[in-house]
Amino acid sequence: MGCVESVPKALQRWLRALGWAGLFPVVMCLFLVCWGARPWTWAVVLAAAAVTLLAPAVAADLLPVALIGFGGYAVVLLRRSVTFPPGSGTTTGYPFHSVVFGNGLPHVVDLSAGLLMLVVGAWLVPRTIGVHSRLARRNSELLSRVRRLTITRVDALDTATAELRRIERDLHDGAQARLVALGISLRATERLIKTNPDAAVALVAESRENSARALAELRALVRGINPPVLAERGLGDAIRALALDCPVPAAAEVDLPRRLPPPVEAAAYFAVAEALANAVKHAGARSVHIRAAHAAGVLRIEVTDDGAGGADPSRGTGLRGIERRLGTFDGVLAVSSPPGGPTIIVIEVPCAS
Amino acid sequence: MRVVIAEDLFLLREGMASLLKEHGFDVAEAVGDGPSLLRALTIQRPDVAIVDVRLPPAYTDEGLRAALEARRQVPGLPVLILSAHVERLYARELLADRMGGVGYLLKDRVFTDEQFTDALRTVAHGGTVMDPEVVAKLLARRSSLPPVTRLTDRERQVLALMAEGRSNAAIAQRLVITEKAVSKHCTSIFAKLDLPPSDDDNRRVLAVLAYLDS
Repeated sequence: MGCVESVPKALQRWLRALGWAGLFPVVMCLFLVCWGARPWTWAVVLAAAAVTLLAPAVAADLLPVALIGFGGYAVVLLRRSVTFPPGSGTTTGYPFHSVVFGNGLPHVVDLSAGLLMLVVGAWLVPRTIGVHSRLARRNSELLSRVRRLTITRVDALDTATAELRRIERDLHDGAQARLVALGISLRATERLIKTNPDAAVALVAESRENSARALAELRALVRGINPPVLAERGLGDAIRALALDCPVPAAAEVDLPRRLPPPVEAAAYFAVAEALANAVKHAGARSVHIRAAHAAGVLRIEVTDDGAGGADPSRGTGLRGIERRLGTFDGVLAVSSPPGGPTIIVIEVPCAS
Repeated sequence: MRVVIAEDLFLLREGMASLLKEHGFDVAEAVGDGPSLLRALTIQRPDVAIVDVRLPPAYTDEGLRAALEARRQVPGLPVLILSAHVERLYARELLADRMGGVGYLLKDRVFTDEQFTDALRTVAHGGTVMDPEVVAKLLARRSSLPPVTRLTDRERQVLALMAEGRSNAAIAQRLVITEKAVSKHCTSIFAKLDLPPSDDDNRRVLAVLAYLDS
């Protein structure tokens, strides 16, 4: 049953998808009407059907042309058929009604059919042009989108590679080196423990110191990769924690009821951290205000400081890096920082919560 | 002294349990996830609990939340929070009920058992112990908000050591001054922070809270 019912539904769906283009082969059937069933008229009709099936967009473009052509033909031939009365020979080239209904019907049928086709054809022309200009616009939009995606993808890869290199170097020079030192002093302790217990105890103390330093370095490293408070509490509390740790008084107004995608949270977190660091280090701000909210599918964060101003994202690598990181999510960074301040940094990232 | 331990890493959990037993503590229960921690805290009512912030099932801040919830049900239940990192945000949440009996330390501190067991006892007796790293973050910040600006440098040093959970005697030893001088500084700090006269432990908690909020 379902199968039987689904056939007209599928047909309906197909016709809806085809739209105006579906009329094209129907109109082209007028070739058969006007010039009779001959090989070339059949070829024209079949070609029209093939074009409609394979390239509906082309058929939709050709439809107004066909309508205006046949409409004009009918209106013009109406006059000719008065000059050459029907029944004088072949029906070829004669108005539609003479073929369909015989010659007795009034010419008003041709006139109205022709006019109707002209009107519909003329009505379709601006729409067809409109469709094309929309397509052209969409096309250029897509092209610039592709260009932007290409740039941000390269940026994202560069950033990720640089990050990995930094992490590798930090691990290699930091924790890894300390663990090697730890192994060596433990080995030495093993040798000294019986012969020189005092030296062994000193070495053990040194080892403990080394392991504590390795831990501290790992902690700092983890904070730079994925801040623990961000993983545990999300962006809202992570921003509050940043504000608390800021060396100058920082107020945080956060309205983020739900967790956001983790990569967006991380990018936004580091953006705020950079903005705060700049405010303290470069602008000499005495207070900072952070506002963060997620509304209508956009995360918006504003960091305002009362410092000296004059921040230029094209000069500093920090803001530029943040801009690139946000770019991966189609996020933007705007900086307003007139000399004398205040500096306002706004980031916006489209994202669903 | 009865202790409940919540730590998901088996090695660290067992290591801590044996270290505590060595120092004469009685480990009532050692659990490895958030829900069983809350159950253990409310049923066992230990003298002090050692809680890792990040616990299964979700590995976010289950431990901290379970500890805060347990303190809502059992006000003042002494809790020492351990974590691989310290956040002032969490310190503030822990102190927010102004009941004391709260500690917040880096896991690294477990290595130095004297410091660790001292902190545990301070917390069990209603004191407040903040990790030196939390305190260092406070010191790094140019406190420009009253009432902490009213304190002298020496008073701020005393307050920082107080936040780390040190007794007056320990503070005196650290700053190389007499214990009498320390208690004079304390009185002055309490007065400047507008803390009403009450028992010394409670005022110390409030002073640390004011410091964290500065």
